[in-house]
Amino acid sequence: MTTTSPPSASAAGAVYDRGYRPYEGPRGGRRAATFALYRASIRRALGIRRSWRQKVAPFTLLAIVTVPAIVNVGIAYVTRDEIGERVQIITYREYVGVSSALLVFVAITAPDILCPDRRQRVLPLLFARPLTGVDYVAAKVGALFSILFAFSFLPQVVLFVGQALVSNSALDYTRNHADVLWKVPVSVALLAAFYSVLGAAISSLTSRRIVAGASFIGLFLVSSITAGVLVGDVEEKATGSAAALINVLGLPLFLRDLVFLGHIDPESRLKGVENGGLYAVVAYTVALAIGILVLLRRYRWMER
Amino acid sequence: MVETSLLHLDEVTKRYGSVTALDSLSADVPLGRIGVVGANGAGKTTLFRILLGLARPTSGSVEVRGMSVAADPIGVRSHLGYMPEHECLPLDQTAADIVGTFGEIGGLPARAARQRASDVLDLVGLDEARFRPIGGFSTGMRQRAKLAQALVGDPELVLLDEPTAGLDPAGREEMLSLVARLGTFGISVLMATHLLDDVQQVCDHVLMIDAGRLVVSGPTEALLERTGVVTVDVGGIPAAERLISELAVLGVVAEMVDGAVEMPVEGDDDLDLLRDVIAKLDLPLYRLGSRLTSLDDVFMQRSGHG
Repeated sequence: MTTTSPPSASAAGAVYDRGYRPYEGPRGGRRAATFALYRASIRRALGIRRSWRQKVAPFTLLAIVTVPAIVNVGIAYVTRDEIGERVQIITYREYVGVSSALLVFVAITAPDILCPDRRQRVLPLLFARPLTGVDYVAAKVGALFSILFAFSFLPQVVLFVGQALVSNSALDYTRNHADVLWKVPVSVALLAAFYSVLGAAISSLTSRRIVAGASFIGLFLVSSITAGVLVGDVEEKATGSAAALINVLGLPLFLRDLVFLGHIDPESRLKGVENGGLYAVVAYTVALAIGILVLLRRYRWMER
Repeated sequence: MVETSLLHLDEVTKRYGSVTALDSLSADVPLGRIGVVGANGAGKTTLFRILLGLARPTSGSVEVRGMSVAADPIGVRSHLGYMPEHECLPLDQTAADIVGTFGEIGGLPARAARQRASDVLDLVGLDEARFRPIGGFSTGMRQRAKLAQALVGDPELVLLDEPTAGLDPAGREEMLSLVARLGTFGISVLMATHLLDDVQQVCDHVLMIDAGRLVVSGPTEALLERTGVVTVDVGGIPAAERLISELAVLGVVAEMVDGAVEMPVEGDDDLDLLRDVIAKLDLPLYRLGSRLTSLDDVFMQRSGHG
């Protein structure tokens, strides 16, 4: 004879009101808050925890900027047995350049991580946390800088590693190009810092992403064209002009040349200008300082 | 500073040019649920900004739980939660993501922030909707999400600016019920509103502000006075009409207010009469109580507008 046991209480179900549980764990201060905002901004820029559409722009950019490195390594591999100097379509110095893809990325990403905070009035929530205006700026610019640095540095790593592997001796290649190991990160950092600060500063001036993006592109186009008109055709002249510094686009590239060559590129618009290198450093620093001042002023967390 | 004091305001004045937003506000506010009442432009939001350290008073000092806001605004904010009146949540992020992120930015470790986000979203009734973008939320849901981000850091004091704004009556009752529960969790509430009914329903203590000046500060119950009128609920308008008619026959003037009967009483005899009439008519008695002055009456009286 079988016996059945009564159904257990758990089978009947139960409703639990957990109520409110206080938090008794560790708490971070300003530094933790800033780092959390930095991480959240990177996630936003890369489309993490957002729809697949938000991931298209950043990862397309990464693919685009990595293509020259892959092509270069591929050509080097194909021509590895040929006598004479290997064909190289791009040098490390030239690769630290401003590509249209990078500019478009900054024009899209900087407004995307700054403008919504103002447009959707999120700033009061952020500044109700242990966060100051300086922390906010540091987190946002830091996020932009990290992404721009990574997206500019990674292709260089692909290029260097690829070239080393297709060379006769990877060790010899590395030894012969040891200077690249510091010149590239320094130049990339100078470029990333410049565009992250300027992109953020322009984005801070408006709550509309499209206005910020268009303004960013517009600033560079207008300054580039203006400098071009004022300097004229450099190839026909022995000396360039300090007016080349009006081209905001070109300022990080002058510093790149100083890092790689120790002097201004003899084919640039600043060629032959006395103290041109010093002027380029000053102009770069002034532009950066103006950008930072604009940011600190726009994100004053306490009204005066 | 006494242990049970939540806020200490000492002659707090805030001027914006020729406009005085707050004028010599002084008050000692105890722990609990506090209503900050005033019309639009009375200075409620300015007071909140000063408590958060986002605005510096022109003169005077503010302490929150014994901490000087001027000396350590960041430290004070570590113990506060804030729910603004306006829309303020990113529309393209999920509730879980937003609340968790604000938890991290409030200083919680990432894992703890995600767990806390889940807990507070459950508390405010958004557990099933937490993975939906905020953009798809109704007004009531967005208000609750705003409250959740204010609670995720387990604050000692939460500042709620017009928490029932834009809500329908059912949503308003739900929000007020949530706010009332916060007090039972040991979280003090400072609720700014122009709706005196909300304060009367939820708050233990009231600060009334008019044109930047403190009109009155005190326990809600102490501000309300007995009027010598009783309110009787006999279960609906038809029953109330019968009661009023019968009382009129006996020479007692009673009137219907919001489906209930209000009748003046001077002593126990009047109450006995009322009891006997109700029993004679065989009416149910759901509620019998003294009608108190409303906070509306108190505000109008004390501010000189009445």
